[in-house]
Amino acid sequence: MKLDPSVLEIDLAETTKRATRFIKEYIENSGAAGIVIGLSGGVDSNTVAALTSQAIGGDKVLGLMLPEKETRSQKDIEDAIIVAEKFGLKTELCDITPVLQSFYKAIPIFDQSDRLCKGNIKARTRMIYLYYYANKLNRIVCGGSDKSETMMGYFTKWGDVAADIYPIIDLYKTQVRKVAAHLGLPRELAEKTATPALWPNQLAEAELGIRYETLDLILYGIEVFMETGEIAKQMSLEREFVDRIKNRLLVSEHKRRVLMGPKLGYRTLGADFRLPRSTY
Amino acid sequence: MSSKRADKLKNLEKMEELASKAKDKSAELVIFPELCVTGYINRDQFYELAETIPGPTTERIEKMTRQKGLHVVFGIPEISAKTRGTLFNTAVFIGPEGLIGKYRKMHLPTHSVFEEKRYFRLGYQAATFETQLGNIGMCICYDLFFPEIIRLIRLKGAQLIICISASPAVRKEYFEILAAARALENTAYLAYVNLAGVEDGLQFWGGSRLVSPSGKVLAKASYDVPDLVFCEADFGDLRSAEAFIPTLRDLRPELFDQLKRETENL
Repeated sequence: MKLDPSVLEIDLAETTKRATRFIKEYIENSGAAGIVIGLSGGVDSNTVAALTSQAIGGDKVLGLMLPEKETRSQKDIEDAIIVAEKFGLKTELCDITPVLQSFYKAIPIFDQSDRLCKGNIKARTRMIYLYYYANKLNRIVCGGSDKSETMMGYFTKWGDVAADIYPIIDLYKTQVRKVAAHLGLPRELAEKTATPALWPNQLAEAELGIRYETLDLILYGIEVFMETGEIAKQMSLEREFVDRIKNRLLVSEHKRRVLMGPKLGYRTLGADFRLPRSTY
Repeated sequence: MSSKRADKLKNLEKMEELASKAKDKSAELVIFPELCVTGYINRDQFYELAETIPGPTTERIEKMTRQKGLHVVFGIPEISAKTRGTLFNTAVFIGPEGLIGKYRKMHLPTHSVFEEKRYFRLGYQAATFETQLGNIGMCICYDLFFPEIIRLIRLKGAQLIICISASPAVRKEYFEILAAARALENTAYLAYVNLAGVEDGLQFWGGSRLVSPSGKVLAKASYDVPDLVFCEADFGDLRSAEAFIPTLRDLRPELFDQLKRETENL
């Protein structure tokens, strides 16, 4: 297989149809009154905002904007509002700074200098807000995780990845950008630089050490069982570099699975107690 | 149709309703999708849902076919009457005079999102039945990827090959090609009947169809959503199709011996 950008081409109309159908059927079957999403202003959450609104109507979608002092960006808030207005979803803004400060004060071993552990508190606090609203309003939480970051383990366990459904989890970041443009998001928002916003000036590509255009092709190669040597050769990259990407996928599997325990009984939850995800 | 997962009662009611509608339009044969009685995604619940054949579901459908003078084909998880935990993915054929026969799926997909071998035992018998409607053969979904089984059904005399299916959306293109190809290469009618709806995130693409012996799609149901379409298969057309592209006349039996040897040594 020739590993060039054409392998990531998708039928945008069909993809959008499948994703919206998935959302609509899930909501209808679950009996939920609607959807709550976290609106960061980034391309993933903006795309999910558009998809969910198209699927079930914007009046049944609530976008929560959850900024905090250190990473607050007026531009991100404005971008989210542009999308919310375009697709007719409701928004609410809650500044989570006071809650975060309470955590920082209350945790006995809290270390101000450890920005990753601190950043994870932010992602998990946002999760608590989203699930509170979902519980209270009889809704479900819709996640904005894409395939690139999820394969790389580039997310906070029980944080930004925590959701009931993930409409774009099978789309690489570069594909999400195309879907975003197809849905009518302004070009600037579809192409917007990605940031998890766990600390100031954090940029996904800089932290991952790779451009999404390259990363997505490597991940696609891994997905279709290509050997890392072949991927490296075709993309004129060092084999060790591609191996490191693959290793990130392998070591982060624990973040994508829940209920890990020892096998002790007849059928073990999370292992061989195999049931459909829902009763519908 | 779309099925409600693990709700046999509801699905049977739906099947009866659809069969009534079909009868009103003078249908003689009504075909439902693979595992439509229980839905496709049931994982460990298959052990609780599976039934013997004959069993409660086939008896209920028989009652209906006798009353209505109909032939019906549908899919159900079957449990062997001789064991308590050996299951099959089975197509059942019932006519106005009762159970005509059954076919246990021979190719069980266990790759990608499919895990059929985890739950089902392989079938061992290709199935073609002589009925009041003509000779009708049955296969199930992934079987369609294997020309050998379809050829066998045809060589056993099938004029109409029924393929019941539960195919998710990403495979639509493959089945559309295969349904036409299997009909054309065997010069037989082929009815492909697929599940619609969403189960556990898996979106079944519907699109059921009747393909003529020359590969033409004679009737096609809606994509993705449940639909009921009607079409006539005129077995009188088989002669002209067989004479035009005589694949059966030109078959080379010695190839099958080689095929067996090479398959064993793959």
